[in-house]
Amino acid sequence: MPEIKVTPLGAGQDVGRSCILVSIAGKNVMLDCGMHMGYNDDRRFPDFSYITQNGRLTDFLDCVIISHFHLDHCGALPYFSEMVGYDGPIYMTHPTKAICPILLEDYRKITVDKKGETNFFTSQMIKDCMKKVVAVHLHQTVQVDEELEIKAYYAGHVLGAAMFQIKVGCESVVYTGDYNMTPDRHLGAAWIDKCRPDLLITESTYATTIRDSKRCRERDFLKKVHETVERGGKVLIPVFALGRAQELCILLETFWERMNLKAPIYFSTGLTEKANHYYKLFITWTNQKIRKTFVQRNMFEFKHIKAFDRAFADNPGPMVVFATPGMLHAGQSLQIFRKWAGNEKNMVIMPGYCVQGTVGHKILSGQRKLEMEGRQILEVKMQVEYMSFSAHADAKGIMQLIRQAEPRNVLLVHGEAKKMEFLKQKIEQEFHVSCYMPANGETTTIFTNPSIPVDISLGLLKRETAIGLAPDVKKPKLMHGTLIMKDNSFRLVSPEQALKELGLAEHQLRFTCRVHIQDPRKEHETVLRVYNHLKGVLKDYSVQHLPDGSITVESILIQATAHSEDQGTKVLLVSWTYQDEELGSYLTSLLKKGLPPSTA
Amino acid sequence: MMHHQLALRFLCDDGGIDVIFTLQGDPSLFVASAASQLLVHMLTFSVESETTKPLSTKDGDWPACAQMIIKHIEDSLQSSSSSHIEQSLNLLTSLFGSCCDTWTEVLWLGIAKQIESFWMEETVQAHHMLAKLLLKVAWSPVFCDTESGIWALVTSALEHLTPVQAGPLAVGIVRHYNCPQDVRIQALTVLLQPMDCILRAASQPLEYAGLLDESVSDPATVESLLSSKSSCVNLLCQTLAHLEELLSQMRFSVDLPYTSLLHSLTTILQFCNGFLRPASPLGSTISRNLINCFRVQRSALDVLAALSEKKACDTLLGSLFDVLLAYLESPNTNPTVLKKTFQATSKWLVRLRELSCSNSQWQQTEKILEDVFLVLQKRLCSPCWEVRDSSLEFLTDLIKSLRDQDEFRQSLLSSEVPRLTEDLLEDPESYVRASAVTAVGHLAFITYFAPESPATGNQYNKENTVAKLHEILSTDTEGFPRRAVISIFNKWVREGCIGQLEDTEQFVSRVIQTVKHDLDWEVRLGGLELIEVFSSQTVCRLCVLNCPYTSVSAVTGCIHQNSSLLIFCRAKVFNFLFQSLCDCDQPLGQRACDILLALRCRFYPVKTLKDSQVAEDSYAGHGIAWLQRTLRQGSLAQNILTDGGNRVDFQDPESMLLALGIIDLEELHDELNKSSDHVEKSPQSLLQDILASVGTIEENEADCY
Repeated sequence: MPEIKVTPLGAGQDVGRSCILVSIAGKNVMLDCGMHMGYNDDRRFPDFSYITQNGRLTDFLDCVIISHFHLDHCGALPYFSEMVGYDGPIYMTHPTKAICPILLEDYRKITVDKKGETNFFTSQMIKDCMKKVVAVHLHQTVQVDEELEIKAYYAGHVLGAAMFQIKVGCESVVYTGDYNMTPDRHLGAAWIDKCRPDLLITESTYATTIRDSKRCRERDFLKKVHETVERGGKVLIPVFALGRAQELCILLETFWERMNLKAPIYFSTGLTEKANHYYKLFITWTNQKIRKTFVQRNMFEFKHIKAFDRAFADNPGPMVVFATPGMLHAGQSLQIFRKWAGNEKNMVIMPGYCVQGTVGHKILSGQRKLEMEGRQILEVKMQVEYMSFSAHADAKGIMQLIRQAEPRNVLLVHGEAKKMEFLKQKIEQEFHVSCYMPANGETTTIFTNPSIPVDISLGLLKRETAIGLAPDVKKPKLMHGTLIMKDNSFRLVSPEQALKELGLAEHQLRFTCRVHIQDPRKEHETVLRVYNHLKGVLKDYSVQHLPDGSITVESILIQATAHSEDQGTKVLLVSWTYQDEELGSYLTSLLKKGLPPSTA
Repeated sequence: MMHHQLALRFLCDDGGIDVIFTLQGDPSLFVASAASQLLVHMLTFSVESETTKPLSTKDGDWPACAQMIIKHIEDSLQSSSSSHIEQSLNLLTSLFGSCCDTWTEVLWLGIAKQIESFWMEETVQAHHMLAKLLLKVAWSPVFCDTESGIWALVTSALEHLTPVQAGPLAVGIVRHYNCPQDVRIQALTVLLQPMDCILRAASQPLEYAGLLDESVSDPATVESLLSSKSSCVNLLCQTLAHLEELLSQMRFSVDLPYTSLLHSLTTILQFCNGFLRPASPLGSTISRNLINCFRVQRSALDVLAALSEKKACDTLLGSLFDVLLAYLESPNTNPTVLKKTFQATSKWLVRLRELSCSNSQWQQTEKILEDVFLVLQKRLCSPCWEVRDSSLEFLTDLIKSLRDQDEFRQSLLSSEVPRLTEDLLEDPESYVRASAVTAVGHLAFITYFAPESPATGNQYNKENTVAKLHEILSTDTEGFPRRAVISIFNKWVREGCIGQLEDTEQFVSRVIQTVKHDLDWEVRLGGLELIEVFSSQTVCRLCVLNCPYTSVSAVTGCIHQNSSLLIFCRAKVFNFLFQSLCDCDQPLGQRACDILLALRCRFYPVKTLKDSQVAEDSYAGHGIAWLQRTLRQGSLAQNILTDGGNRVDFQDPESMLLALGIIDLEELHDELNKSSDHVEKSPQSLLQDILASVGTIEENEADCY
């Protein structure tokens, strides 16, 4: 029976390090190739040895698909392609291909700088890896090879994020990556057509949450920034170059305009231009409102947000600064933090997750005295706030997507086991489909029931209708013929036509069976008894006694011989063709019961 | 735990081992693999710790735990369940891979017949596992004897497995140092047969010798595999990967029929781009199967590149470059394939140079180079950044290896390539700008910096190029081009291209002023490397200038010291070095400290420093904390405050000499070489993390990404 196999190497009952292997109709696809931000040892990358034990990596995998540019989905890619040695195609959307190397480079710099790691992928490797990437458009069907095709759907979440449909013949899998079913300030909501895949692999980060209104969080954020600025304090917002930063910028820009605020807002040097460039380039990926107003006003060209110069950090008076990197582990954001940390009027707002060991993680965990390089102690008096703006689908959103796509099976990844368990039950109850949640390294096998189209020859169809039954869509009907599988197509033809087409001679196949009968008489007498018996029982059939001593019933042939060791036993050799299979087996069972005593 | 008898006994006596046997089939492959590893440890430890005499095949000699595991292996191998067989094959593979004791031979003798039956009777699907196991056994020193039964088994496996199944085994066997000649020939036949079939299918009659003697092999199986598209692609990709593996081996001593192999490779590449449509039925089927197949193209080009290192037939070079140029020219060439074509072309051009030095093949070389630069011109203007970048990398590669060849320089300089390369300094893609910087930097070696070049002395062009690169260093918004510039500047200074000492001083000073405020720490690190090269060169040059024939006396040494110190101060080297010492990016601090230590050695010979009581006194209180405080107070300004309140002038040689003497650079060095993890890994810090994170983690974690 055809099957789809799914093995998560990462993101199985776990958040981070997404990497899922899918085998579908003989094709092997790797979905995402992420890293775990929480680890800096071997556990950081997925364990690829599982793939390499099946032979050469590039020969085993048909392609790699990356859903979006977050590092937990693409952070291991250069390691995989340049150090482990994968040489095949990698697919991602155009924005992901443009932004992915920026984040990878950022991550490499931190690892080499902060951790002093030397055995790590280099900038050259990131570039070489990106050269292997084939960028795809939304809704474009990409033919990976003759059998395997993929198609991207809009996923919201971050610029360029996509869900992917993977299809081989009539079997298909949809992988959602991370997605968001409600539009935000700059991106739209995820959408997929009713593609009825055999399997939907969905993220489940917020499997049990119905999230509070995003507007509430936005109001809260604006209130905190406003209050700090009003009392003359400075606000530091450490961000990554692209993504959430733009959403928050739009938010502040609109608020500043509405409230007519004068305090300056700055964004790290160089990054505004870069972000602007990408949002302009990929404006079709943003939400409707931004696209509509783009002609009159580019929402990413801000009136109130100016480029930051390092000298500004010492300026007196209130200000808001967006600085990179987002975890306060190095660079400009850390420099500014050091300067401002000592003043209780100031505030730092962390809008995203921080890896253990970074200053960001320490202050979010409540540390107020930080040991910096050179045994210096930095006392943190400024206010520290954490605000989540991550854009994942909540439980309602996940159910909505399942309703939209109508999959035959669902598999949960990218979430915590406890929460997945709850959602799994809910999905099974509501949609009556099987739902799976494999752990890392566990293989889930899903049996599919693909419908395979077969062409029927006209001759065969005519013969069938001549028997009297016209074809009817509503009444399925059994049909006999010879199936020819050639050049990836299936045809049902009459046996005669098949023989002719293939240039083959016909051979007769006969089934045989030996039946032992206790009869001390001579052989020809036994034959006569059998003949009489059959003639009496099978009145509607033509039973003949041939001159050579054998009996025929239609195509069935019966011959009698004496047993070599026991003359009292006669052996009846019965043989028949497959057309008379039913009659043949009836006849043998009849003979096995023995001959009636009265027949003489 | 498996280092303790008690633990072993606990597991064996109380049924723990049965649980581990079951875990071999756990749905999680990580658990299954760990269980298998554990059994290997248990078996090894049990035999090694519980036996005193050599073991025989008799059960009674083996320790109880080992007996249990071996029985389990034997039972599994004989079972009808393929998963049980695979588990045992896995276990045996790890065992023979990790343990080389003589008792493993006894174990092997007991199971070898069963293992052979797997391919003889075709009962097992996991052929790659069988190949792995056989290789591990063959490579184990226990079986190193050429008379050992393993070779008969290998021969049998090579005979019975299909070409695809036998490939991994064959490649491992060919590389085996102790492999008997007949087995090696058999393994080579497996690897070369597909290539031989390709040759035979392509040409009738064969122009060149085939790869194999027809009598040694029956090509029917391979031919049938080549006839179907997917098996053809799979077989060729696998064969090519194996060949590349063999060719890339430095110490691979077996001679392959390189000429025929090269011919076969070019044939495959011609099949793939549709340039070859042979009349033979198999040939036309293969050409249909391979046309536009990127996978085969990539693999074939990799082998081609590796083959350039071997002595192949020179007569084929013309047709080889025809094929390579066709790939370089074709608009249908996939970017990855193009990159690999560039790599192969560059390697073969180097080979061509070696050949044309020995033969008189110059005319052919000239024509090839002309064609290459023509196609490169086109590729440098490609709309795909991947292609432009690979083209620039190719150009840099060529200059690096062929820059001393006149013909190469002439061909290059008479083409449009140099101008187009300079244009790409303004490419919208930062990767391309960076590669253009590197290429322009290398081009300078054959234009402005080469003594015999027609462009030498064209001062305007030279200054123009330097100014352009400097402009990129100070204004480019992306790190890659800036990093490329600083690394090219380093290369120029290292190769002494900048000019006299005064010119270099001015150049270095200007570059340092630009890079010291760069946001990218790797650019700043490049600046420090520049200082390192400059300082060692300055000392050397002064030495040669002043006293070329005499050893350095105390007096001349002192003069050198003073002049070099003066030069370093003028070039504003110290300012950057001390600022970098306190940089929050750790690699900078480390490098600056190393350079300062080297400078101190030069100005304060160890003896003087050790003897000097003054130095010891002044070290006290002048460690890292003092330095941090001092430099921080200066807030990166030009001048900083010392403890005494006196201003230190970075350009004053005396102050700098004093500073070098009183800072405890050794302590600083140790401090900086500790990973930044040491703070967070300290028990105190961990405790603080744990205490502070109670309650806040869950919410934080949900919003990971």
